[in-house]
Amino acid sequence: MNMFLHELKAYRKSTLLWTLSLAILIILFLSIFPVFSQNAEEMKKLLEGYPEGIRKALGISIDSFTTLLGFYPFVFGYILLCGAIQAMHLGTSLIAKEMKGTAEFLLVKPVTRHQVITAKLLAALVSIIITNIVYLLVSSLMATFISTETLTINTFLLVSLTLFYLQLIFLALGMLFSVVIPKIKSILSVTLGTVFGFFIINLLDSSVGEKSIRYLSPFEYFDITYISKNASYEIPYVILSLAVILVAMGTSYFVFAKKDIGA
Amino acid sequence: MSIIELNGLTKYYGKARGIEDVSFSVEEGEIFGFIGPNGAGKSTTIRTLLSLIYPTSGSAKIFGKDAFQYAPEIKKEIGYVPSEVFYYDNMKVNDLLKYSASFYKKDCSRRIKELAGLLDLDLHKKIDDLSFGNRKKVGIVQGLLHNPKLIILDEPTGGLDPLMQQKFFELLEEEKKKGVTILYSSHVLGEVQRLCDRVAIIKEGKIISLEKISTLRENSYKKFKLETHTRVDLGIFTMDGVSNLEAKEKEISFLFKGNINLMMKKVAEINLLNIWIEEPSLEEIFMHYYEKGE
Repeated sequence: MNMFLHELKAYRKSTLLWTLSLAILIILFLSIFPVFSQNAEEMKKLLEGYPEGIRKALGISIDSFTTLLGFYPFVFGYILLCGAIQAMHLGTSLIAKEMKGTAEFLLVKPVTRHQVITAKLLAALVSIIITNIVYLLVSSLMATFISTETLTINTFLLVSLTLFYLQLIFLALGMLFSVVIPKIKSILSVTLGTVFGFFIINLLDSSVGEKSIRYLSPFEYFDITYISKNASYEIPYVILSLAVILVAMGTSYFVFAKKDIGA
Repeated sequence: MSIIELNGLTKYYGKARGIEDVSFSVEEGEIFGFIGPNGAGKSTTIRTLLSLIYPTSGSAKIFGKDAFQYAPEIKKEIGYVPSEVFYYDNMKVNDLLKYSASFYKKDCSRRIKELAGLLDLDLHKKIDDLSFGNRKKVGIVQGLLHNPKLIILDEPTGGLDPLMQQKFFELLEEEKKKGVTILYSSHVLGEVQRLCDRVAIIKEGKIISLEKISTLRENSYKKFKLETHTRVDLGIFTMDGVSNLEAKEKEISFLFKGNINLMMKKVAEINLLNIWIEEPSLEEIFMHYYEKGE
């Protein structure tokens, strides 16, 4: 318990910062929506001028773009990107920080390595959950406020909740990287490299429309356009996400318990 | 009872040697010196004891229990002072020490104040703002605050000024009086000479000698220094037991181990101006060990 509280306290600032940033970002994004909805016809014409590839990469579908649920995926992609960075950074620093000298503090205390990693993981989870609760509140309020027709809040929440799932995946990946990569010099560059890498695969794939590489990037496990149209998740990808999370976290626990903590 | 028992402890980092076949035991209530040059394997041995790293082969027991299987339980009674102190940034000394104390189910606040007072450590400063020596003090307080039965010190005096070192040694001697066992790793021989009861010397990953400080010094070696009227042929001193033979102008010095009478007869043949026969410092003895590479 003491470790959990200590870690939580250590995350206080970053949690606050990320939560605020995401909230402000979505308020700004959604506040441009009225411009689109009020000039629906002109907008459609303008968008038709874009090549289809680019439209797909940006998550724009012409028919629904002027409704809130059609517009939301377009901006939500960037929220996901930010959320992924937050989660991956948490996950990577979880253990990498421990390898860099503070290990001699925690790991010589009367605790098991599993207890150490669990306390840290729980604190990171709480940090992410706080971010998500605030994000859900702020974004649904904002959405209800600006939506021109009655908003199907369920669908809106289904889409928004993918932020949480994606963050879990990146948290787990971050943990995995931090135990598998021998010496991480900069947590930030590993984080940004991975997240942007996956994000670019996602952009490419959406414009190419190749099914098989969809498995490669966690960003594509939740097809937001699909979810907002059908108001449901694609089950195979839900299972895939769960599998990625469990395998990555399981491996991290296993490797960390056996690892030599170097001087 | 042996507090620490190492048996054939071996650690390879891939193919690189860490330590090879390290065996020794530390008895209850003694201060045990662990000494060797940088990179000899002192820290590797200590980190293995603390199960920060796992051995390739061999076993380690602390308080009679397997050091890896029972690590969390054993660590309740171990205090460790690392050679380099990093610690969480952005924390006040007091907060860090309280956090450290929260791992042990006892009230340590009095002991923290006591130790901080003794070492002249300001509890209200941020760790970031501390000098190297003051960070070291945080490490020492942190290692001792729960009154452990075994204290493991990895080159603890680096960064401490002589006055502080003095206080620190007194602190350790006090702990010893309470029956605490101490494993003291260092490459500074004077410290070990002053504090320790027994000493293990490690070189290139292997223990090359394990002796009582007293035997090491008193019984085995004498340091000779002769001043002569005329230059003397060094050849007469080439005999078993003589080492570190040096001569400059009319001065000859060497270490001698063996029958002192034989040596005295040889010395008697020389026309002396002056003679010193002294206990060598550990430093000189160890240089001897290192060079010979036994």
